[in-house]
Amino acid sequence: MKNKLLLLVAILTLTTITVNAKSKVTCAGSTTVLPIAQATAEAFMDAHPDINISIRGGGSGVGIAALINNSVDIALSSRPMKSKEISQAKAKGINPVPYAIALDGIAVIVHPSNTISNITISQIRDIYTGKIKNWKELGGPNLPIVVISRDVSSGTFEVFNEKVMAGAKVSSSAQLLASNNAVTNTVADTPGAIGYAGVGFVSNKVKALVVEKVLPSEKTVQDGTYILSRKLYMYTNGKATGAVSSYIAFIQSPQGQKIVKEQGFIPLQ
Amino acid sequence: MKKLIWLTLLGLLLTGTLCSQELKISGEMWNRWTIVNGKVPADSSNAILKNYFSLERGYFGLEPKFSETVKGRFTVDIFSSDDNKNGAGLKLKYAYLDFSNLIPIPDLTTTVGLQKVYFGSIYDWTYDLIGKAPADEYSITNSSDYGITFNGYFPEGWGEYAVGIYNGEGYKNYGANLKDNIEPAFVGNLRITPVSGIMVGGSIMINSNERKKLLTDNTINPKFNQQLLLDGLGSITYGPINLCLEYISKKVMHADEFSNKDYTANCLSVIPTIKLQKLIGYDLDLIGRYDRWDETDNPSNQNLLNAITAGLNYKFMHNESANPAMQFQINYTYKSYDEEESSASYANKLKDSSTLLLQLKWRFNNTITL
Repeated sequence: MKNKLLLLVAILTLTTITVNAKSKVTCAGSTTVLPIAQATAEAFMDAHPDINISIRGGGSGVGIAALINNSVDIALSSRPMKSKEISQAKAKGINPVPYAIALDGIAVIVHPSNTISNITISQIRDIYTGKIKNWKELGGPNLPIVVISRDVSSGTFEVFNEKVMAGAKVSSSAQLLASNNAVTNTVADTPGAIGYAGVGFVSNKVKALVVEKVLPSEKTVQDGTYILSRKLYMYTNGKATGAVSSYIAFIQSPQGQKIVKEQGFIPLQ
Repeated sequence: MKKLIWLTLLGLLLTGTLCSQELKISGEMWNRWTIVNGKVPADSSNAILKNYFSLERGYFGLEPKFSETVKGRFTVDIFSSDDNKNGAGLKLKYAYLDFSNLIPIPDLTTTVGLQKVYFGSIYDWTYDLIGKAPADEYSITNSSDYGITFNGYFPEGWGEYAVGIYNGEGYKNYGANLKDNIEPAFVGNLRITPVSGIMVGGSIMINSNERKKLLTDNTINPKFNQQLLLDGLGSITYGPINLCLEYISKKVMHADEFSNKDYTANCLSVIPTIKLQKLIGYDLDLIGRYDRWDETDNPSNQNLLNAITAGLNYKFMHNESANPAMQFQINYTYKSYDEEESSASYANKLKDSSTLLLQLKWRFNNTITL
């Protein structure tokens, strides 16, 4: 009788544990990908109450290092992994597999009254390093240029720094702002200003410039013709399975891509 | 004069770092308790030979990032030492610049200055065991040296490579201490990661003392010798288990073709590790090591050493990348020498010993945007 009672207690305990057990998915990495991950995780967990997704930022490098250390399920990254990182991962028995989840384009914006419409990468670089100080040097109005940039920890700055600055240092006179909205609002209020922000954040309060003869738009970012764009990734150790696979599939689905767009990014298709 | 040199160095360093975009400040301290038990050389009775606390390493480093393509690293090592009346020593460990755009090959970096020696496992030894990498432990090569290297990674994580030229005498020697060595050392290193969990690699280092085998009167140059160092490295990881094997051969050749001073020394090192974090929730590693160091062809230093180490690593206070800020390590090592040879008249009377090491490491780093 005593043994039967013990067996019953054991079965009940195990059943309780099994019923209460939630699949846990851990993500870390890029602050650019973070809002997409958070918004999609909320929607996904609403539909899958048995899955718990925890997300933290830190930057792409931090997320990738955590994946290499086998401490997260998903690394959020706004850039492809470097050869060095892949090599280190493989040596540790980690097989990083990338999943593209969204596109990010950066628009260079000016005040709507500015007559300049086209610009080249080298001209943007000269403005941001302080070589070009007045719009008249580019055939525009006689107006000092007010340079607006993002704080260096942002993913948007990371892309701008890589694709435009190419190793050059942003002039110390540039105003550093903390968000895409802060940049667009400041540029909208300052006639001589130039700034940059995610394509999804550009409104009719500012004017997006044609860069290297291509206007930033959802279409030109998706077809790869617009130069200031990039893919955003989630990396897993080996091909995603179980709850991780379901979550990534949700982000790539039409429902997930709608959330991507709502967050100011560009859907994959 | 010393003060002037230090002030100049500090000035150069500050000027350099202020010109940079970012500056990473880092430090790492190794507090160690060493207890050595072994045979007393006089009568071979067993006794505690050493029992002391020390700061074995006190790295302090600055890593300025001047641009996306130019970065620097400056590291000094502060440590407990009897060589100085103050009980502490200071060594320059690294002082180099990395240029990633000098040669238009993706992921290739040109490194100039006092830097890592790309030989075997010495340049990325993680100190999961308290002991050094085999090449460092048995003084086969130095862990850093003055020179120029070209080091990089193959696309898609296929591995890494390095070729370089160094003084060959290590970071503790320069100028007058370079032992008449006008010949630099040449190093080549290759590692391949064909699939996840498997890494194979090898290194070669050619070094010599003096350039010419013959003196001007056509007699043999007694100071000439050439070293050929070869290293084979392999690592297999499956889940929480890793097995690392390293084999090193050191061949020393003198000017006389049939010199009895020529010798070859060999080292085999096997390191198994089991990571228990996924199993028990704590970042705990069980780690072992077997070394066989055979230098018996050297008439002036004949010994055959077998060393077995068992260790435990507990890592805690992890940062957001899951790298620990603190690490507690226990290592027990038993060293045994070939009985006949260690007692022979030509040997250096090496005796068996056991060592217990307890170590608390802590590290910090922070990046400042300038």
